[in-house]
Amino acid sequence: MTKIFVPLLRGYPMTVSYEHRLLFRHEGVLDMEVLSHFVHNIDKALQKEAVRVPLRRRIVSSLIELAQNIIRYSANDEKYPPLLALSRSDQGFILEARNLVHYSQELFLQTYLQNLTQMPRKDLEALHYNTLTEGSFSDSGGAGLGLVQVLFKSDLFEYELIPADGEYSWFSVKATFFHLNI
Amino acid sequence: MSDLTTSEKLIIEPTFTTPEIRFDPEAYYFFIGGNSYPENSLKFYGPVLEWVQNWSQKVVPSSKLLTIEIRLEYFNTSTAKVLLDLLRLFEALHERGQAMQIRWLYLQEDTEMEDAGLDYQAAVKVPFELVAIDE
Repeated sequence: MTKIFVPLLRGYPMTVSYEHRLLFRHEGVLDMEVLSHFVHNIDKALQKEAVRVPLRRRIVSSLIELAQNIIRYSANDEKYPPLLALSRSDQGFILEARNLVHYSQELFLQTYLQNLTQMPRKDLEALHYNTLTEGSFSDSGGAGLGLVQVLFKSDLFEYELIPADGEYSWFSVKATFFHLNI
Repeated sequence: MSDLTTSEKLIIEPTFTTPEIRFDPEAYYFFIGGNSYPENSLKFYGPVLEWVQNWSQKVVPSSKLLTIEIRLEYFNTSTAKVLLDLLRLFEALHERGQAMQIRWLYLQEDTEMEDAGLDYQAAVKVPFELVAIDE
């Protein structure tokens, strides 16, 4: 377990564990205005955590992609609010996103992510580069690279699709960024 | 046809999610800087692409060096893609004979931004310099 010592006023050390510390959590409707505040505040929070620039970029860029996927493609209302969270654990930083997707998107996501997660890194890099240079935009202005980017930038990528009711499923992504890379 | 200097400037002020854009033909200096993660990058960059396309069709290429500086903080994948479209417009002008350099500015320790710059450097045939800065 990683531990740090915080000196108290009288000089006695206090042990603080990083076991699982929540840095940020939002459960509610997402829009660009809200996201821009999150980006600003999370970047500042990571600076306070002494996270170096490259890792900060990877975490915050991944958060932007996950949030914009929610804004563009998912159910995003008060009845089924999406969730975004960032925490710090012994392992590293954990970015989580959860949102409701229509069953029509579920099969696509399942197949797409199964393929992506099985790809060797070299193939993933090639896909990223080819989509960047040759791909087209979706109607909502996405480049189709968001999840590739998160997979690419994180050290561990997990996802889950759990049925919510007949028409919808909860889609969860958990991206971990290891401490070693801080 | 006219030289670069006769065109109007393109100036777009930055927001939290969109970059500052200053394209100044008179100064032979174009700048893009800040955050770029608009919800719809095509909507934001569409007019910019159109401006560059119209402008580049009008100008007579010259040996006077046009500098394009890019210094981004956070940018989303759709910006990454549209930025390449923009650089390809500049590349077309360079192929017609306009002297040009692209300077990709990034913080010294920011290897992520350096890697992104390397991708663009490989993708366009324009003199492309990666410039590490301290602050």
